Amino acid sequence: MATRTLPVSKRGLNFEMFMWAFTRFTVIAMYGLILAGILGALSISARTGANFGDILYWAFFPHLAENPLEQVWMTILAKLMVTAFILVVCGHGVHGLLEILDDYFTSAGARRWSRNFIIAYAIVASLIAIYVIWTR
Amino acid sequence: MSLRRNISLSSGLSYRGGSPYLAYIMHRIGGSALFIFFTLYILSLLGMGFANAIFGNWFVQTLLLVFGLFHVINGLRITILDLFPKWIEHYQMAFNIQWIIYILLAGYALFVVLRNAFGG
Repeated sequence: MATRTLPVSKRGLNFEMFMWAFTRFTVIAMYGLILAGILGALSISARTGANFGDILYWAFFPHLAENPLEQVWMTILAKLMVTAFILVVCGHGVHGLLEILDDYFTSAGARRWSRNFIIAYAIVASLIAIYVIWTR
Repeated sequence: MSLRRNISLSSGLSYRGGSPYLAYIMHRIGGSALFIFFTLYILSLLGMGFANAIFGNWFVQTLLLVFGLFHVINGLRITILDLFPKWIEHYQMAFNIQWIIYILLAGYALFVVLRNAFGG
């Protein structure tokens, strides 16, 4: 534990430090976007009579529940926020998954292929998600 | 790395690392659950029937929410302690607060999922 008490300013800037910072700051961006989304949804929920549980359930499982906010929420700002969220999630997820896979794939070739696959997956998935967000 | 580890699987599974080790393992499982969740989410929004069918199962929803929520809350604790290293001396208190918040949130999420699954 003692080594972790080193202040951020004294940790130096190398690849590990950069990826550590990237992972932490993308997390903070996600929390900020989630909080803004929840507050925005609650602020317009009075108009449609939606409760918190219904909003969360629809947010997680949109095809299983009626949209409790109707179309009031689908503004340009909301679409931009969801797009930003998707990109941040992909960046964070790629790094997290690679960290897990690196623990199980030991050869250089397997690691290279897992990296290529995850990065390609993240690009394709985020493109599909952005298409869905802006066309529906 | 793991392929060169010199402990057996049974020893690994019986390792008693306490709640930090449990959090470490659950964080990884939660991250993987969120990866599956993200994939199913996109496929279901595209109207793929099999993704809707998997997503519609209350047991799958429960697993995704229980592990996904843990990843989110545990990640917040890690981030706070990483960005403010002086607070590490309050590590155990942070852990306790995390578990309380997690149990409350996961309980509420389970209630909503089960209410939607079984009516009422």
